[in-house]
Amino acid sequence: MRSPDDIRSWLQTTTGAVVVLLAVQFLTGVLLAFYYVPSVDHAYTTVSYIEKVVSSGSWVRSLHHYGSQWLSVFVFIHVIRLFWDGAYASKRIQWIAAILLLGLVMAAGGTGYSLPWDARAFFSTRVAEGLMAGLPFAGGMARLWLLGSSEISPVTLSRFFALHVLVIPALIGAVVVWRLFRSQMAEFFGPRDAIVGTLVFLALALWALKHPAPLGPPVAEAGADYLPRPGAQFLWLYQSLKYIPGGLGSIVGVVLPGIVLAVLIALPWLKRQRLIAGSLLGLGVVLVVVMTTASYLSDRRDPRTAQQFARQTAAEEAWRHQPFNPATITLTAATTPASGGAPVLYTKFCASCHGTQGQGAQQGPLKFPPLLDVPSKPRRSVDDIVALLKDPTAYGLQPPMRSFSTKLTEEQMREIAEWIVKLKR
Amino acid sequence: MTVETTRRSFLKFLPLAAVFASIGGAAFRFLRPKLSAATDAWLDVASVSELTGPQPVSRKIVAEQITGWAITTEEHNVFVLPAKNNQVVSAICPHEGCEVAWEQNTNRFSCPCHESYFAADGSRISGPARRGLDALPARVQDGKLQVQYISKEQATRA
Repeated sequence: MRSPDDIRSWLQTTTGAVVVLLAVQFLTGVLLAFYYVPSVDHAYTTVSYIEKVVSSGSWVRSLHHYGSQWLSVFVFIHVIRLFWDGAYASKRIQWIAAILLLGLVMAAGGTGYSLPWDARAFFSTRVAEGLMAGLPFAGGMARLWLLGSSEISPVTLSRFFALHVLVIPALIGAVVVWRLFRSQMAEFFGPRDAIVGTLVFLALALWALKHPAPLGPPVAEAGADYLPRPGAQFLWLYQSLKYIPGGLGSIVGVVLPGIVLAVLIALPWLKRQRLIAGSLLGLGVVLVVVMTTASYLSDRRDPRTAQQFARQTAAEEAWRHQPFNPATITLTAATTPASGGAPVLYTKFCASCHGTQGQGAQQGPLKFPPLLDVPSKPRRSVDDIVALLKDPTAYGLQPPMRSFSTKLTEEQMREIAEWIVKLKR
Repeated sequence: MTVETTRRSFLKFLPLAAVFASIGGAAFRFLRPKLSAATDAWLDVASVSELTGPQPVSRKIVAEQITGWAITTEEHNVFVLPAKNNQVVSAICPHEGCEVAWEQNTNRFSCPCHESYFAADGSRISGPARRGLDALPARVQDGKLQVQYISKEQATRA
């Protein structure tokens, strides 16, 4: 027989789900950081590498991707459960910790979405930029601080990375530790929390096995018809922004959530607590549920949108079956490859004036002639060039062209000459 | 708490432990190193005609390697040993993998890290290195001396 008390204590286990999901995010995040590189030229490649080459990589990334969405949902449910229990009055620390966690988890989701630097990431960064720029009074400044520059650039990706893997996790850790120190372990995380946490993890693990985390095309390859969508925890915001003109989006997307979180944190010291929190959370639930549903429906109802999504899904599926395409990294001082390029001695003695590939050069007022198509000119056979290198004046050339008879052997001159006569414009 | 209740609550945590063991297993697979694959291409070192005189000749080869998520094109120092029928040796010291340099006045290779010394034919003279400089597979094609790159991992293997 289940007593009402029994059911009630099962409803208390939202902590278990949140703690387990946080642990999953930390563990998988650390793993992903072993391969991910936060640079605009390698981020996409390294994420593809995790998806396609690294063992269990697709699962680990999918756990992290969907885990972040589930975590947002469970922290929200956790907050509502605490509200139900009146924790803002009786367990202030739990209440404040939960609200802080809600804000931090959303921030982690927002910054993390930019990191793969695919087309979705790029548009998500664009929207974050627009939301900052639209802020009243300090919009321009907020945008610059977010981007680290006047444009979305390599600096921006580094900022999102530092926030996502260092700043926000450190703050989340601090909140969890603070909350932990102020409570008994058994009360914080009991056997029932363990069971609920296990079930939530199992569900997430199976979901992640079945659904790999999405990865759009690289920014440069995305067509103009590409339709980006945010993570599920931001669909409410995405849909709301469709109905709100211009800069007012920043009010709904940044200012209002900020005020709501601040009021909820201050709730233990306010009067009419139940009315304030009840109406704010109630409005929040209605907004999130209605807008998320509207977003799904509008994507499904419009046939053109549905077709485009089908194309994108097919393209992503095809991409998954293509072999991994590695990046190319050159760690050499030489500007040309050893085979097929200029002879080493050409590079040493001739290239500074005539160019690395015989294209000629200009240094201040001095013009150095290109060496392309020289055999078409009179007296420029291989034998002529060797003789010319020994005695340029005999061929009517003037300084700074000088004789190389003391620097190069006959064979070395011939090697250079044979390479030069092959140069074509 | 009695021993019995302690054990019962411990058992309730077991499924959770099992679940995280699955992440642990994935972590092992995820982090398992992947060997890099050096290409076996023949790389030009020098024209045979320019290799004259008894002194070792320093040359650079540019080798491609597939390492992790990138194809890395890297320059490596090698020495051609005219004294030993143009054998090509890697500049990597077989002790700990620093790069040796040719000292003309003392007529030997010296390693800057731990003072291993090698003769003009690449054989070990003294120091902590246990053997001479490693020879690279070499051939002569159309008057060009060519070698195949061997990795640091191979070159420093005992």
